[in-house]
Amino acid sequence: MQRTRRDILLFMGGGAAGAMLTPAPWRLVTDAAIWSENWPGIPRPARGEITARYTNCALCPAGCAVRARCVAGQPVSLAGVAGNPLSQGAPCAFGLTGHQLPYHPQRLKQGTPEEAAAAVRGAMAKCGPGESVAVLDLAPGRASSWTYRRAMAAVANGVYLAPPRPLGGAAVNLAKARTVLSLGAPVLDGWGTPGNVHAARANFRLIQAEPWESRTAALADEWLPIRPGSEAALALALKDPKTAPSAAQATGLTEKQILDLANELTASGPALVLSADDLPEALALNQALGAWGQTLVARPEVPVPDAWKKAAPERVVASVPDSSIRVLFIDESVPGSHIPWSAVEKKLVRDNPVVVAFAWSLEGYGRHAQFTLPTAVYPELTSDIPPAIDSPAATFRISAPLVAPPARMTDPSAFIAKAAGMDAGNALQERADAIHKSGRGTLFTYADGKSTPLKDIKPDAFWKSLNEGACWVDDAAVGRASWPAFLSSPHDTQAEPQSTAFPLLVAFAEPRTASLTSPLMSKLYQDSDLRMAPNTAALHPDTARASGIAGAARAVLETQYGRCAIGVIPDESVPPGMLEVAAGPEVLDICGAFTRAKVVAA
Amino acid sequence: MDREFITRGVKRCSGGKFLLWILPWVAMLIFGLYSAGLCLVKGLNQTNMDNRFAFGLWIFLDLTVIALGAGAFFTGFLLYILKMKELRAVINSAVVIGVVCYSGAMCALAVDVGQPLRFWFTFWYPNVHSMLTEVTFCITCYLTVLMIEYLPIVLKNRKLRDVPEFLVFQHELHKLIYVLAGVGTFLSFFHQGSLGGLYGVLRGRPFAFREGLAIWPSTFFLFILSAAAVGPSFVLLTTWLVEKISKKRLVRPEAMQMLGRISGLLLAVYVLLKTIDTLVWINRTSPGNGFPAAQYYAWHPFGTWILFTEIALLGMVPALILLTPKLRARTGWLVSAAAMACCGVALNRFVQTVQTLAVPTLSFDKFMTYTPSWQEVGTFLAVLAYGVLVYSFSFRYFQLFPDERELKLEVAQVEEEPALVGRY
Amino acid sequence: MIAPNSKSQPSRERQRAVSRYGMSIDLDRCTGCGACMVACAVENNVPPAHEGATARKGITWIRVFKVDNGEEGAARRSVFVPVLCQQCGEDTPCVHVCPQQAVEVDPATGIVGQMPERCLGCRYCMAACPYHARFFNWWDPQWPAGMEKTLNPDVAPRMRGVVEKCNFCHGRWHAAKERAAAAGKSEIEAGAYVPACVESCPTGAIRFGDLKDAASEPAVAAKDAHSFRLLEKLGTEPKIYYHSKRDWVRQVAAAPKPPNGKENARG
Repeated sequence: MQRTRRDILLFMGGGAAGAMLTPAPWRLVTDAAIWSENWPGIPRPARGEITARYTNCALCPAGCAVRARCVAGQPVSLAGVAGNPLSQGAPCAFGLTGHQLPYHPQRLKQGTPEEAAAAVRGAMAKCGPGESVAVLDLAPGRASSWTYRRAMAAVANGVYLAPPRPLGGAAVNLAKARTVLSLGAPVLDGWGTPGNVHAARANFRLIQAEPWESRTAALADEWLPIRPGSEAALALALKDPKTAPSAAQATGLTEKQILDLANELTASGPALVLSADDLPEALALNQALGAWGQTLVARPEVPVPDAWKKAAPERVVASVPDSSIRVLFIDESVPGSHIPWSAVEKKLVRDNPVVVAFAWSLEGYGRHAQFTLPTAVYPELTSDIPPAIDSPAATFRISAPLVAPPARMTDPSAFIAKAAGMDAGNALQERADAIHKSGRGTLFTYADGKSTPLKDIKPDAFWKSLNEGACWVDDAAVGRASWPAFLSSPHDTQAEPQSTAFPLLVAFAEPRTASLTSPLMSKLYQDSDLRMAPNTAALHPDTARASGIAGAARAVLETQYGRCAIGVIPDESVPPGMLEVAAGPEVLDICGAFTRAKVVAA
Repeated sequence: MDREFITRGVKRCSGGKFLLWILPWVAMLIFGLYSAGLCLVKGLNQTNMDNRFAFGLWIFLDLTVIALGAGAFFTGFLLYILKMKELRAVINSAVVIGVVCYSGAMCALAVDVGQPLRFWFTFWYPNVHSMLTEVTFCITCYLTVLMIEYLPIVLKNRKLRDVPEFLVFQHELHKLIYVLAGVGTFLSFFHQGSLGGLYGVLRGRPFAFREGLAIWPSTFFLFILSAAAVGPSFVLLTTWLVEKISKKRLVRPEAMQMLGRISGLLLAVYVLLKTIDTLVWINRTSPGNGFPAAQYYAWHPFGTWILFTEIALLGMVPALILLTPKLRARTGWLVSAAAMACCGVALNRFVQTVQTLAVPTLSFDKFMTYTPSWQEVGTFLAVLAYGVLVYSFSFRYFQLFPDERELKLEVAQVEEEPALVGRY
Repeated sequence: MIAPNSKSQPSRERQRAVSRYGMSIDLDRCTGCGACMVACAVENNVPPAHEGATARKGITWIRVFKVDNGEEGAARRSVFVPVLCQQCGEDTPCVHVCPQQAVEVDPATGIVGQMPERCLGCRYCMAACPYHARFFNWWDPQWPAGMEKTLNPDVAPRMRGVVEKCNFCHGRWHAAKERAAAAGKSEIEAGAYVPACVESCPTGAIRFGDLKDAASEPAVAAKDAHSFRLLEKLGTEPKIYYHSKRDWVRQVAAAPKPPNGKENARG
């Protein structure tokens, strides 16, 4: 039989028609959509075994307990640990994105430690009389902090500097409070340990005295809209009702309101007075209200080995003579308080001081230091977290690493100890051992949620648990009988007087941090207007007009400490005469507590 | 040099002059293609649309040109189904306008969607509840119909008709013209309506939401009616424009008058129904959804002036002009009224697209404004330039106006015998 | 074209639905901290804001708005309102309008799911949604180098040109179902499945549960006199119940009021 072309065509046509009756072509068509689903350049998340690991968040002194969901060992999300006695399972937005910090585009990856060490050696040798070597520790109280103190004790002219401790080192016992008066302190927005504050919230009546309706003011039981800069006058009048008339004048409240408030504080105690930056008048009011031993308690230092007790004392920057520091180490390897650079700079010698900063990026003191040495970033680092301000008992928590840091990171303790000719040892473990020796307190382990008295745990098990996610809480502290002297000592926090040069009062609208925050935080200030971006300020349109920046999106913020560029947001809810700022390193460099400022056109 | 491509018996300008005419439009097209290319390559972040203004300039223009292009189906309906012979003079031009409007709108849509390569999903996974599915199917079918209707015009080109197969093909095709016209009308009825239905079914947007008949909101019918009303006006307008630019007489005045009258009639009916619909919406539909209608017009710059302009100024006024024979007879009035009617429908599409999205729905929404970016404007200019170029080529090489030859002879006769004056 | 029959179809959905997940949000507790917003972005692989992104083009599946009572000075009061997909239960606007069925209501959970792989990017659903709960990918997602390591493997990153929205962390529901199945149970226990925003809220303002379970917090909140839903008169039957004892806060549920010359929202 002849096979003609026609036959072949018929066969092919019939085959095609028949194939249409099978699922094959339809599936192919649908599957063709797959290639349009993912283009190259869209990342594919890696898969792997899913495990939970535990640590503590090192981004602020709250040190909230963290449960990390890890895929093949890489943390992909963080959450709190429910039932944790300190943090009650509630991390904040910063903590929830902490696992992304190691990949921050501004993360420092390279430094010159050998050069820095050589420069330090040379400068230390050159130290003359009256000149000193200093460590500025922005997060005092850690095991590393003790290493610095011991190192500075080992060096002839060593000085250990730290920011002033909030409330002089006393702790707040929020659980005892029935009435809390906050003079601008962001009680519900980043103060203390958020989980602890919210757990205790139902127990106290919160009165927020603040010129601007902040987040805390919006949710407080009562918001007293006082005039900017009148917090001190109000505190004074609450202690001494005779000054109520002048306080009424200053704050804009009525005398009756002030007297009623004073009555409430005494009648509905125990009371607690908090202020945004340790106003002496607020501390005096606390004393008058008998807060000591109730809502304000002494908290003993977390135990340290006896060998460490020979350590340089903690001093504030202001206590050092000007132009006296030849070598300065700045440890910003863990987020902490920020001291304006101008306050630090004037303590440095005029001729070639050596400043070495240990940091996550060049954005902080790295802008001013000769050498910035990269350190491990949370959650790569290993550090203990000092107790939070609202923890009445001493606590010890280790932020244990969840991922390995990259190569060539510097360990500040090792570097500084070496420069001082000291062996840093394993400070963390030594401290853990010292705590264990004290036999006090309870260990709460996150993986199983159990609380165990310390005396029932062996030292090895104790150390292991601490590194796998746990917190040690001391037994209840015994309050001292009298108001301690250090709470009355002068601070750097005197409010600046009003001046025509700097007419605006600066307040912080957002939690203060000079540290890196995850790029994902842009959800809050770029993808929405919920929070303000770092280095921006909100001000009343009248203020903007008076400052000559009406309609401008950018301006220059100027204080006695310097100037920096900021973004500007007009906001009618900000009282005239005030600037609500969101801090970034540049702003923190020129704004301290109760700073006066002015805004000029860019 | 292209004489042999130009229809016998009519005069067209020289090749050089034609080149001068199309050059700026080509430049505009190139710029527009660059803008569209940017949007396709870099993504829709090149536009000023955002999560609040999900629809912007392009959707508004798509709706407007589709409404204006309705002249294609409606003229066909009037000519082939209702046998209004005068419209034979403009049917070809209307078809070209239709082709240009619909294909241009499709091209703009291809740039507007985020994933143009997935266009076939609507055909493969259609959602029978969605007006947009209906629109997609209908417009695709209708564009096919338009292309089939355009084909004979192309094939009747002086050179092309020398090919016997083409001649036979277009002759056979012409036998189907009634079927095509009927199908075209049917499809257009539905997609013009569904375009209105797009907004009328938005229960979440009380500004746009309307009650209606069964599953079709009132905007379904209003859109059809307004498209049918403005289609003839747009054909009229373009014919007048082409006459002016080419300095030729292309149609008899009767055809223009008829277009005007039909447009006016439909426009009047539309204005009446739209007024009723608006009153129902203001007094019942919108308040029933918890949205008092007054607040829509409290957001500057959308005041009640926009409602008045759309319905009265650019709706009732041109309708009345077009229905008055004395005014209709005067070219100035006729063309102005037609232009006003077109603007009125454009305003209606704008209100449905942009104002719907601008007015807040949540009590804490801000009122936001939207200005198209240059890339968006550029893409639209590409569509415009494309339309002008296709029409220009069609006008030059195809017989768009069958009465042109006769009218040319008449004019010649008049010129020879100036005493015999016959003007309209 | 077949009409969305409001009587029969959703009823069938409701009868077949094993669960109807919903939320109750206590506006007297929300501090506007934004933890929910970032937790959601971490869980669902939402990229950080692109350079050119603003609040109008950003992707925030859950977004907290600061709303005030319109008064000035001392009389001013603010509230923070988290807004996410309301998971409309009746005549779900976005489901009906999508031309290629890229949105569907899951009969087992009542969750309105979005399929970015099917999405054409026509944005009709965004025009349909009165709650502004839908977001378009105006850019291709971009993470800083190395940060892709922190992506959640249970959620596919989307490419540009498609719409996305909250789906109550549907991947977590699947994971909970698998865990229950592995333990030999057919139902998920209450509390075993919570979306990321609920888990992360430090004040517990957002609560999650099955509205069909009378004991769950959203079901209880639904009956509370102080609870309300956004734009109830539209008839979309959202499954998010907002709660506040403050009378003025209930205004957020109603339609916008004519402006008095001032804008009153930041968020």
